[in-house]
Amino acid sequence: MVAPARAPLRPDRLRAVNAPREVAVQVDEFGLPMTAGLPDGPTARIESVNETWRIDDEWWRQMISRQYFEVMMEGGKRVVLFQDLINGKWFAQLP
Amino acid sequence: MSRRPTSSLAACVWIPLFPLRCEEARHEGLAGFPTALLAPDTTRKLWQVSSQARHTGVKPGMTVSQAIGICPTLRLIEPDPVHYDEQFAILLSALTEVSPVIEAGELGLVYVGVDGLQGIYGSAEKIVQALRQAVRPSDRQTVRLGWGVGKFTAWVAASRARPSEAVVVPLGHERDFLASQPIAVLPLDADLHRRLRRLGIRTLGMLATLPEAAITAQFGTSGKRIWQLAAGRVIEPVQGRVEPESIAAALEFFSPVGERELIVHALEQLIARALKHPRRIGWRVHALRVRAELEGGGSWLTAHLLKEPTADAGRIIAPLKIRLEQSPPTGAVARLVLEFTGFAPGTTELQLFARDAQAAARAGQQRALRSAAREIRLRVKRAALYHIIEVQPWSRLPERRYALIDFEP
Repeated sequence: MVAPARAPLRPDRLRAVNAPREVAVQVDEFGLPMTAGLPDGPTARIESVNETWRIDDEWWRQMISRQYFEVMMEGGKRVVLFQDLINGKWFAQLP
Repeated sequence: MSRRPTSSLAACVWIPLFPLRCEEARHEGLAGFPTALLAPDTTRKLWQVSSQARHTGVKPGMTVSQAIGICPTLRLIEPDPVHYDEQFAILLSALTEVSPVIEAGELGLVYVGVDGLQGIYGSAEKIVQALRQAVRPSDRQTVRLGWGVGKFTAWVAASRARPSEAVVVPLGHERDFLASQPIAVLPLDADLHRRLRRLGIRTLGMLATLPEAAITAQFGTSGKRIWQLAAGRVIEPVQGRVEPESIAAALEFFSPVGERELIVHALEQLIARALKHPRRIGWRVHALRVRAELEGGGSWLTAHLLKEPTADAGRIIAPLKIRLEQSPPTGAVARLVLEFTGFAPGTTELQLFARDAQAAARAGQQRALRSAAREIRLRVKRAALYHIIEVQPWSRLPERRYALIDFEP
């Protein structure tokens, strides 16, 4: 990690960029998202699921397991959602 | 490191439209016509406009086509910022003969520290007279001089003076003098000026009667500063400059060199390297020296005082080429050392226009960024600017890749 000049780097002053934001998602009978209530807008229908992938990581300390969906919302907005497979909650994150 | 000499008692020497005056000085007869200088950054717009042109309705910032439409006899001049800077350097050198404490403002504006000069010249009027004599003869009819405690009072006094005259603000009368002055004398941007006028504030006295905290809350740092200036609460001394120590660049040849072309090429490289030295920024080279250590133990030395201080590599090398042609080293050169030994101050304005453009732009951006960060922190009472830093850019988890950290300029 390269610290910018003049700014002393201290872990307590770091702020995460692109932290996941919890969202309310309804899924269909196959477990695919149908609607999503994004933090900055009303609940909207999901037009299509463009891509899906899974991340399993950090199994050696606290397991992270996520199922990602890149979806097209009604109106054309592209959003990345993921379901935390450990606790079942849904989150939105920038692509 | 030497401390910068300062002087709280200041004289302000102001030659309005200095670049235009430079053009009038070198083009005889130009002064009788409506003239305008084109802007150095975009030649489609006017930068400075003579009073004759102004009377016809031509204004700075107008496009050339607009101006010609209004005044068909308008004479347009391509700007020559390097020439203006050289003329300004001559003015600075001449004023240095009167006082060692000189601070350059924009082109045509110089603050002169006058603390202690009474012992040499006598009264304030005699010092003012000496300053006027230092100005080139063609500018003596247009120069305005101001005198007072601190740069701001001196500047306001100069701005109130008639051409070729001086306004001296006696010690202790600064607040009375400033109170009656219009707010236009403050260093304001157009927006702040408009806002103050809308609030009915016309003079520095009216501004000074308002609470400082209220002005700061409304206008931020610049509001605080203008209040302090208007109330005469801040005295900004003239800050002279200390010439940088000499700058040297050396080159050792793998095998001694005798060809003149190769020596010239090596000198060009050394000049370029020495010009890039951080100590040189803001200064033009006035004196230089070249030493050559010759194969077999001899040496060769040449020293030059440039007619006009410059930061242009071509002008610096010109006298060296002549010397190399007329009396070259008597043997092959094993080591070549170039030294800049004397400097003359440059101006920030030139740096923006010409040779130091990139360095000045970088410095300007940093200054602007620092000032903006301070302003935001003052207004919102917390840091609201951040650096983005890489944390684990390789991580599969997007939130682990980057983080924000407070921006501390």
